[in-house]
Amino acid sequence: MSEQPAPWRLAILSESPADETALRVLVEAVLRAPVTWVTPSLRARGWPSVAQVMPAVIRHLHFNTDADGLVVVVDSDDSVTHTAEHDAPNYFHPRCRMCQLRAIHRQTTKKFPPAHGRARILRAIGVAVPAIEAWYLCGRDERVTEEAWVKGQETGARPYSRGELKWRVYATDRPSLVLETERALVEVARHRKDTRRLEHEFPGFAALAKDLRGWRREENS
Amino acid sequence: MAWCCLARRVGEHGGVIASVAFRNFKALRNAHLALAPFNLVIGPNGSGKTSLVQAMMRLRTLSALPLREPIPREAREVSNGPEITFRFLPPFEMTEAVLACESDVRCDLLQVTPADEGWPRLCERIQGMRSYVLDHREIANAARADEGDELASDGHNLAAVIARLQSQHSENYAAMRDELVRILPEYADIACAPGRDGLIELGLILKGGSERIVGDAISQGSLYLLALLALAFHPAPPTVLCIEEVDRGFHPRLLREVRDVLYRLSHPTSFGWKRDPVQVIATTHSPYLLDLFGDHPEEVVISAKHGTAATFSRLADRADLQDLLAEGTLGDMWYTGILGGVPEETHE
Repeated sequence: MSEQPAPWRLAILSESPADETALRVLVEAVLRAPVTWVTPSLRARGWPSVAQVMPAVIRHLHFNTDADGLVVVVDSDDSVTHTAEHDAPNYFHPRCRMCQLRAIHRQTTKKFPPAHGRARILRAIGVAVPAIEAWYLCGRDERVTEEAWVKGQETGARPYSRGELKWRVYATDRPSLVLETERALVEVARHRKDTRRLEHEFPGFAALAKDLRGWRREENS
Repeated sequence: MAWCCLARRVGEHGGVIASVAFRNFKALRNAHLALAPFNLVIGPNGSGKTSLVQAMMRLRTLSALPLREPIPREAREVSNGPEITFRFLPPFEMTEAVLACESDVRCDLLQVTPADEGWPRLCERIQGMRSYVLDHREIANAARADEGDELASDGHNLAAVIARLQSQHSENYAAMRDELVRILPEYADIACAPGRDGLIELGLILKGGSERIVGDAISQGSLYLLALLALAFHPAPPTVLCIEEVDRGFHPRLLREVRDVLYRLSHPTSFGWKRDPVQVIATTHSPYLLDLFGDHPEEVVISAKHGTAATFSRLADRADLQDLLAEGTLGDMWYTGILGGVPEETHE
């Protein structure tokens, strides 16, 4: 009988506790492995607070905890959307949040000595375009995709605003934290067993999933 | 005020005040503020935040008195004294109320135009305005059972208000208790009960046992949260709620819950409630609370002081707001001074 793999010990850095609750579900759906979560949970106060605190968060996790990895998810808001061209070696777009967060991780971990039996904290980064509510609408509203948003950015005719996305998910522009969390859990439940559609329609989520699966391969190799 | 009167005071529309204009009132020499359903006022000390609240409470006090015959400005002993002009929300948008000084020693002139048959109805709504400067030491005190109609301005009768909610409005009470134990999961229940002296003691039951902690043994943040919840879940809340330093005593991560409690009052339909909105005016010095208003900059009022004069402006009126939000949080932007509303400094 094969031994159960040790659970991943992970931390999430996101913009709200509601996001974090949904991300836990999505991360477990991609990893398909047991996960334990580092406590206390980490929190940032929106962009650019995420980028500002990320080096300290990585340092803390590396030296003070036995965490395996850090999951970071932010909204893109009106920033430049990450594309395949940005993945070219040595390419860095200064207004792309994915590029910025990856660079911060790279720079921060570059000179760390090994600690707690691992060389470095793994990272998985996702960017919700334009906001995490777009991910929540995946499979419910076909008009909401990353491609639609990018086309809108290019033409100057946005298909929807971030406020409209909130309305579609919460039916109010002032959702309580309770409502945000409830709706987030209801919406991500669609992807609990299969994240392929979310990955297909939201490359910012596909990047996160690719990072997480890369961890699995690293573990298996 | 009797319970039945409290319940009657809620009218068909939410909010009362459309705008306030100040002339020579303390630091507000020449300032104007259009009020939204929710208003978070930020700014340095002495920049007019409290004066705004005081002006509204003065309107409430004077509106309870019989109206006097109008006295033209030129007929007053002081023609350049303090003057505060209020405009009102529909259906009272045609009414104007002016607070002014008749002489150096008499500053209690309220003039209403038109003082027609609509004034008593408007006056009833003005009478429903309340201001709070909550004090955890007062909140923690036991209270007389007959004080439970509505929360006092310092919160000293909270125990009686909660006991009254429990006995007369059990659904509101249960919803309030559920909200408290959700936000502060270390507690299992609220337990307000008469003590040996017959006064109602404020108590909370800790989770995982039956230990009841009472009065000043309850943390400050828990006391403030209880007071806010008692206001939000009260069946007859104020028409206008002014609350100073609303962030006081709360961990920064709990401020989202504080904002939600206030939104319950100002935007009840967002919480599935069918009741009149309460116009909220809250002051804060917390950049963390300000951070939570990035999606609604129209709700943020910046009070700024230039020398001895103070003015109000709306954050949403900043043309470069979206660019600023891409660069930093609202709280950081405020602290840096980019938004204004910071103390003046001398560099000699």
